[in-house]
Amino acid sequence: MLRPRIVVCLDVRDGRVVKGTRFVNLRDVGDPVELAGRYEADGADEVVFLDITASHEGRATLLDTVRRTAETLFIPLTVGGGVGTVDDVGALLRAGADKVSVNSALARQPELAAEAAARYGSQCLVASVDGAREGDGWRVYTHGGRLPSDLDAVEWAAECARRGAGEILLTSIDRDGSRIGYDLELTRRVASRVSVPVVASGGGGSAEDVLEVLTSGGASAALLAGILHDGVTTVTNIKSVLTARGMSMRASNGAERSSQR
Amino acid sequence: MTPRVGVFDYGAGNLHSLVKAIEVSGASTQVFTDCRETLSSDALVLPGVGSFATAADALAGAGDEVREALEEGLPCLGICLGMQILFEESDEGGGPGIGFLPGRVERLRGEIVPHMGWNDVDTGDDPLFAGTPDLIAYYANSYVCRPGDEDSVTAWSEYQGDRFAAAVRRGRCWGTQFHPEKSSRPGLRIIANFLKEAAR
Repeated sequence: MLRPRIVVCLDVRDGRVVKGTRFVNLRDVGDPVELAGRYEADGADEVVFLDITASHEGRATLLDTVRRTAETLFIPLTVGGGVGTVDDVGALLRAGADKVSVNSALARQPELAAEAAARYGSQCLVASVDGAREGDGWRVYTHGGRLPSDLDAVEWAAECARRGAGEILLTSIDRDGSRIGYDLELTRRVASRVSVPVVASGGGGSAEDVLEVLTSGGASAALLAGILHDGVTTVTNIKSVLTARGMSMRASNGAERSSQR
Repeated sequence: MTPRVGVFDYGAGNLHSLVKAIEVSGASTQVFTDCRETLSSDALVLPGVGSFATAADALAGAGDEVREALEEGLPCLGICLGMQILFEESDEGGGPGIGFLPGRVERLRGEIVPHMGWNDVDTGDDPLFAGTPDLIAYYANSYVCRPGDEDSVTAWSEYQGDRFAAAVRRGRCWGTQFHPEKSSRPGLRIIANFLKEAAR
């Protein structure tokens, strides 16, 4: 059977992993290659790099980071942040990303999804949808959560999937960084509306949160960041809690391998 | 002598992890965009990124030559799309595949497609799976192979009620629908097993 996934997200800036709240108070927490490898050993099912580099020169640094990471990471790597064109998607894939997530550019130019899917296959195109609660629905925000759009998050996710995205990375802006649990209602609404996997993001603070979003939230995967980077818990610990609660998680197997290197 | 592995680049994506995974197992690699050039290598690897049409186009009419080389015993590992291209044709569209294995490539019958993530692989006793008990491997596919000859299937997986060929073998040619280069330690073992078999 297909195992629910735990995806670890690292914010990357100028070739370093940084940590902060909503893009402010950033501090350096380490080398992306090393941290990604450590999470593989800890049992992460996938790693996501979210590039928050503002500058143009930063792109070359990012490609180099991706290249170096792909050489030692033997689990899937998704890269997102600032992807504007089909060529950007191609460059990241060639550098070593297995999937590329696109956010603002898709809202601006939805046909990008079909083009990228035709060239590289749907399975490597992730539509990143950031939604914030507003009335009965959720409004899509772009540009790292800063710009409100006219799009409804549930409808927009469905359209991205229809146009060729092979996965939806769904972030609740309200919950992001809060550690009070995922937005289950948003996740459920999107998951029941699309026929591609949904990765839930924003708010994951405990194994219990992960369990909820993977079961009642209908997500195929749960994304975690802060609680792991801060050492509150580990992927291994979360997986053992979930396994004890009857979920079929993939056991971590990386520890043995890293000792071989 | 270090075996030289030719990796066929369809121009559609990530070969980095695959190349490294082969190299950590002690082989050297060369990446070719012309499939004919891969045929003088000690072993051929068909990677798993892109669409069937991309790969069929990239073959650029060399399908017959590849098939003949495989018939003559050139060791080959096809991964994901690289396994699919070994078959005759695909519902995904594009030109004919290599046609080394009878059968076609069809869309998965699951409710949620792509089939994305780690899934159990029910392996038989093929040497490709030596040392990988209770295998769980990483998949990212919307299509699966429906082999005309089920005897070629060496492992099965199931997704949302659809049981499909997780791996196939004919002679010295292997295919895996999952990505060994993305399946952590057991995946690397599978690549090492392939190289070992290829060297026989």
